[in-house]
Amino acid sequence: MKLSLHFIIFITIFTGFWVDGLISQFNVREYLHLANNIPYLIETCIGFLIFCYWVYAMPEKLHSSAALMHGLIIDLCFGSAVGFHMLFFVSISYIIHVYVFRFRIFSYLQLIIFFGTASVFYLACKYLIFFPTNYSYLLLIFSFLINAGAWLPIYFGMRSFRRTFIK
Amino acid sequence: MARTTPTYTPFGKYALAIIVSFSLLISDINYQTFSTARGFVQATGIYGQLFINSFTINIKKFNAIYQDKQMLIKGNKGLKSELSILQNKIFLEKNSQVLANDLLNLHDETLALSRGEEALIFQIASFGLKNYLCCSSHSLYLKNPQKLQVAVNLPVANGDTFIGQTSSLDLNLIKVILFSDSAHILPVKIKNFFCNARGAGKPLLISCRVNKSSEFLKIQNNDPVLTSGLGGIFPRDIPIGKVININNSILNESEIIIALNVSPLKSNYFGVLVN
Repeated sequence: MKLSLHFIIFITIFTGFWVDGLISQFNVREYLHLANNIPYLIETCIGFLIFCYWVYAMPEKLHSSAALMHGLIIDLCFGSAVGFHMLFFVSISYIIHVYVFRFRIFSYLQLIIFFGTASVFYLACKYLIFFPTNYSYLLLIFSFLINAGAWLPIYFGMRSFRRTFIK
Repeated sequence: MARTTPTYTPFGKYALAIIVSFSLLISDINYQTFSTARGFVQATGIYGQLFINSFTINIKKFNAIYQDKQMLIKGNKGLKSELSILQNKIFLEKNSQVLANDLLNLHDETLALSRGEEALIFQIASFGLKNYLCCSSHSLYLKNPQKLQVAVNLPVANGDTFIGQTSSLDLNLIKVILFSDSAHILPVKIKNFFCNARGAGKPLLISCRVNKSSEFLKIQNNDPVLTSGLGGIFPRDIPIGKVININNSILNESEIIIALNVSPLKSNYFGVLVN
């Protein structure tokens, strides 16, 4: 695969993580008086889901080395411990590679459940490793709903993007 | 319909990639192997943001000047534009005077905290708002345009109290770790009771876990919390917060929850006490 294609894919993943950061900075408690006492519940994994989409859409072009490099650059750019995104990108890439043709006969609901669960597992590991004091099951449940809901817009949006820009 | 035929997925390559990434993760978490590289990339990102901000401001300024000139050339609204320029000038001068007064006040307050030692004022460069709101890692970066050599573990003041201490110097940006960071421990004094307060990982909260003693039993809600000076970093007897709750639900131990006095979100300038 051409380097320019890798670059386009990386830009979309980077944008996803950047949007995740923007959403995390939005403090609903400032705008909604009723929400003053509720804990932090909004954590999206748009960047992770975009990476999943690319592997799901083009498994023959994104292999372990690509997952490793994308993970390394994301780790460096977003200040997380080096190896964290590498590990998750490679793992999810392997799972999608093995089951990609089975996924393609799945219904949208099954895909939503699978990718929602994968993103919540990623989130749970992130909190357990880096912020164990902030780990909560309520956060994971809300995040599952948010990320599962985000899968279809990401899927259709990225498919349209791929068909427009990647021939 | 699948677009391609099933292909062989080489398990060996994936296993090797997982081992490599897992090793890097463990070494980075346990030994901070890549903290320098990470700090460098983060500092570069902040510099990029600052550059884009200043570039945008300059473009806006240029645009404003261009529009003003266009208006002047037209002539019909000459007097009106002159008046608006004068008004803008007066407004800016008035605001810069207010800013200068604020800086002088902050400098005086920081000098009072430093008790005769040198104090420097720095402008904020970036605040880790995402982690501050959700997670346990609370830090901010200060601009250091004069490239002063600032050591680590120096007290950082905001108004008449402290908010944290310097943590590292990345590309001349000073990283400050806040009291509420769960990795930060501050020796404090409540009445005659001494304890080590650890950041709670939540905005403006720190807490002490202590064994029950006679001095501890005298502590009540709203008691002022002062620095004890025992760590050798902060001067003693500076008010930093107050007790808001005492949690006795833990066996043989109690947790004193302390609310800090000043939010770091409400200021753009911070003082650093230099030894």
